Amino acid sequence: MKNRLRVLRAERNWSQADLADHLNVSRQTVNSIETEKYDPSLPLAFRIARLFEKSIEEIFDTGE
Amino acid sequence: MADKPIRGNALIAAIAFVTAYAGARLLLKMESPPAARVLIALLPLPFFAAWLWMTMKSIATLDELERRIHLEAAAISLSLSMLLFMTLGLLQIAIKLSLDDWSYRHTWIYLPLFYFAGLAIARRRYA
Repeated sequence: MKNRLRVLRAERNWSQADLADHLNVSRQTVNSIETEKYDPSLPLAFRIARLFEKSIEEIFDTGE
Repeated sequence: MADKPIRGNALIAAIAFVTAYAGARLLLKMESPPAARVLIALLPLPFFAAWLWMTMKSIATLDELERRIHLEAAAISLSLSMLLFMTLGLLQIAIKLSLDDWSYRHTWIYLPLFYFAGLAIARRRYA
């Protein structure tokens, strides 16, 4: 699933490790989401949205 | 992310199991009464159980992607194990398989090897 995670992370000058710490996941998880190899679960998607103060739809795009 | 103390305990338990297994194999090379030999053969069991329990605890602390990777590794391992034993079963019907090469003590090691192979495959998928 396409997402803007990398852009949002860059806006805050966070590394993948920084974002992983904020979300309490591994750096591998952040990387896999950014490279669109893994779609986060709903609870994780909500945590991401809350962290960046955006809606899930503003961050993730199903492409439909 | 798995807690380091839990992972450390799982590693210690793994080493204890391998040591107990190697010790049992060595002791079984010596002559002893059948009852003692059964006890020696069962010696690694509690160590394996402890390692398995700690591994399960460790996996429970992983994040969602890491847990998915372990799940996919288990699925790959199970599939390969079924393939191995099905093939050995058929070969056993077809030809005389040597128990010196294909008994339980030789084939069980493939199961954890398949799991580690599955972990490598699953990790590559999400890297």
